[in-house]
Amino acid sequence: MTKGTRVRSTSPPDGGWGWMIVAGCFLVTICTRAVTRCISIFFVEFQTYFTQDYAQTAWIHSIVDCVTMLCAPLGSVVSNHLSCQVGIMLGGLLASTGLILGSFATSLKHLYLTLGVLTGLGFALCYSPAIAMVGKYFSRRKALAYGIAMSGSGIGTFILAPVVQLLIEQFSWRGALLILGGFVLNLCVCGALMRPITLKEDQTTPEQNHIGRTQKQDFKRVSPCSTLTKKWVHTCLGCSLQQEYSFLLMSDFVVLAISVLFMAYGCSPLFVYLVPYALSVGVSHQQAAFLMSILGVIDIIGNITFGWLTDRRCLKNYRYVCYLFAVGLDGLCYLCLPMLQSLPLLVPFSCTFGYFDGAYVTLIPVVTAEIVGTTSLSSALGVVYFLHAVPYLVSPPIAGRLVDMTGSYTAAFLLCGFSMILSSVLLGFARLVKKMRKTQLRFLAEESDPKLQLWTNGSVAYSVARELDHKDEQSVVLTAPRYSPTRQMA
Amino acid sequence: MRALPGLRGLRGPPSLQLPLLLLCLLAAVRRGWADGNTTGAKATGPSWGGRARLGPASPLTTLPIREEMMTKYSNLSLESHNISLTASPLTTLPIREEMMTKYSNLSLESHSISLTEQSSVPVEKNITLERPSRIELTCNFTASGDVNSVNVTWKKGDEQLTNYCINATGKNLYTQYMFTIINSNQMGNYSCFFEEEKKQRGTFNFRVPEVQGKNKPLVTYVGDSTVLICKCQHCSPLNWTWYSSNGSIQVPVDVHVNDKYAINGTNANETRLKIMQLSEDDKGSYWCHAVFQLGESQMHVELVVLSYLVPLKPFLGIVVEVIILVAIILFCEMYTQKKKMHTDDGKEFEQVEQLKSDDSNGVENNAPRHRKSESVSQ
Repeated sequence: MTKGTRVRSTSPPDGGWGWMIVAGCFLVTICTRAVTRCISIFFVEFQTYFTQDYAQTAWIHSIVDCVTMLCAPLGSVVSNHLSCQVGIMLGGLLASTGLILGSFATSLKHLYLTLGVLTGLGFALCYSPAIAMVGKYFSRRKALAYGIAMSGSGIGTFILAPVVQLLIEQFSWRGALLILGGFVLNLCVCGALMRPITLKEDQTTPEQNHIGRTQKQDFKRVSPCSTLTKKWVHTCLGCSLQQEYSFLLMSDFVVLAISVLFMAYGCSPLFVYLVPYALSVGVSHQQAAFLMSILGVIDIIGNITFGWLTDRRCLKNYRYVCYLFAVGLDGLCYLCLPMLQSLPLLVPFSCTFGYFDGAYVTLIPVVTAEIVGTTSLSSALGVVYFLHAVPYLVSPPIAGRLVDMTGSYTAAFLLCGFSMILSSVLLGFARLVKKMRKTQLRFLAEESDPKLQLWTNGSVAYSVARELDHKDEQSVVLTAPRYSPTRQMA
Repeated sequence: MRALPGLRGLRGPPSLQLPLLLLCLLAAVRRGWADGNTTGAKATGPSWGGRARLGPASPLTTLPIREEMMTKYSNLSLESHNISLTASPLTTLPIREEMMTKYSNLSLESHSISLTEQSSVPVEKNITLERPSRIELTCNFTASGDVNSVNVTWKKGDEQLTNYCINATGKNLYTQYMFTIINSNQMGNYSCFFEEEKKQRGTFNFRVPEVQGKNKPLVTYVGDSTVLICKCQHCSPLNWTWYSSNGSIQVPVDVHVNDKYAINGTNANETRLKIMQLSEDDKGSYWCHAVFQLGESQMHVELVVLSYLVPLKPFLGIVVEVIILVAIILFCEMYTQKKKMHTDDGKEFEQVEQLKSDDSNGVENNAPRHRKSESVSQ
């Protein structure tokens, strides 16, 4: 690669400045997710001041959440084309402006625009680039780093909720929004921390270019549909975007996307309906609030410990399976929930669900990174969080409609449970199919012409590995050392 | 329940109908007392001109009219024919009121307290009452010694009460006091006393429902508007009024002065005072009064008016901190980049040197080989 810019390529440091990046991402999660959750504390004030009912004020929270998730791909695009630092700082400025303008609002519509759209957009520009950055700096301890970074939302909510309440009491909602705007300006500090790093695998060597070209040729031969979509993408969005979003056509990623849709559909109603359900089975208000606190705290613990756990050598290769396991167990918890009708039964449920909820949230970026690699991680995360948006919006109202129609929470919880179990089964099934194909192809490879096998040209045996993607090439190589020993050293 | 014929309305000449009305009412009262009939409707009284049934007191709705009637005819002598009335002539107004209101759909409230010889702390029961009602208070005492030696008394505040009944079964002593509460004079503390060795006391405290407001001061800014809310949980007052006070004097809030104040409430159990165009003078205490038939209850809300500079200071503090941190971090980054570039230069220089020496080594290495082969070939 050109030495003019004098950019040194390294492997992920797994430490050093990486921990500053984790701290930065932690702060980003606090400033985005925790602040979004704390906005609901303002609702009572808005209801009194603007004399509106709960439904109108609750829109603000939905708008922020929705815009943050929907514009996540925009965030990845901006940070890929400018730089991560500039992207996050821009996001911080935007979000802070939204909050400051919100403090001068004279009607609820103003709040929708400023607090809802502007702040949500700002958050979107920060969230996925920060998470992607963590992935670039860590490989061995990736899950632990993500665990610490994602625990920001739980810890942030825990700390910010009483602080916001205090601010509202001291300065009323206008002053509190102003000061919160100042707090969110710390996103600029996080942005400054995100020093860019170029990884070895981001640099394309002539060998890899050749590989890339042959890969594209093979894809063209295999599926004419992808050619058409590729042509359309090429004409509409330009070559760079085509390269950036090439992972969208990967079958693995499509399966992940569909499963994320089901998982996001399943996980959101619990936070909305646990308290009403607990109240309906006879738990008191204080105890129901206590259940929610347990959920929050165990969520944080799950984030960090599961991250540390899946970094252990024994589980490192099974991160995918751990993710499936966490999602599936959450689905099972949902299925058991209608049978739990008293507080001593609901507390262990809260603990289990909270732990595995934190667990799979930590593993989403890890699993995405495994599938698409670190170059496209930012864009892939943008798409994954984008896919969270619509189920988050749609699922609580649908669950509410079911509760109203059937008169009990059973149907809603069962639906969510099945949705999450379907998500994990889908992923498990896809992985199984892939494994079977791999063993089949290896079997074929063993039988085919040895001369063809030895034609390696310093790269992988393409006649065998044509249908396998980049990651699996290496695994085939590793499992069949007699083909290209030199490649292994590289 | 049909209305009494002739009582269809008080529109006709009062001279004939009202004494009749009076007699029917008396009959109904008599009947009511005997049967404990609360709705006060079915007065199948002594026969005169057919069955007399009082309707659901519809002609006798408003108290003032009744009072009017009673006061007008209080000095009338009663003459009755074929009616046996043993009730004493209508003497005092309060009793009449009592009787009349008994028959206007009063609800019955019964409360009881259990006492034992061992209860050292006086037992109290707080009762919230909103509307006039009939009250039945029961005290239950478990005597350790002889039941008959226990002295039972009832008091309202310090005033001795009569008209209570006492009942004893085995070791348990029951005493009951029945009365009606119509206005605020009858609210207060009613106590039953059991005197054996020690004096045991049970108290029923009657209060009007409490009003809830905000305990914490309400913070607003100059030029802004605010809403003060007073809520009553499970009650509906007749009326709400607002007062502002600087010090101890309460001044009613004048809604009509300019467009500064507006009072409205969405439900009967809530009132909202909206104050526009706030200024520093508006700060202080505001009182909301909930007016009930049986009294008044009030709550105060504290209003604090700040200027915009107050939250601006912490905000500017945070902005300065952010700017400083960003500057430090970017400066550190530039510094480490420069350092890297220097070491890069140095390393590149070394690498170039290495390559050069490698090349020269290569040339040197080739030469001996060449010579060797030459020597071998030779």
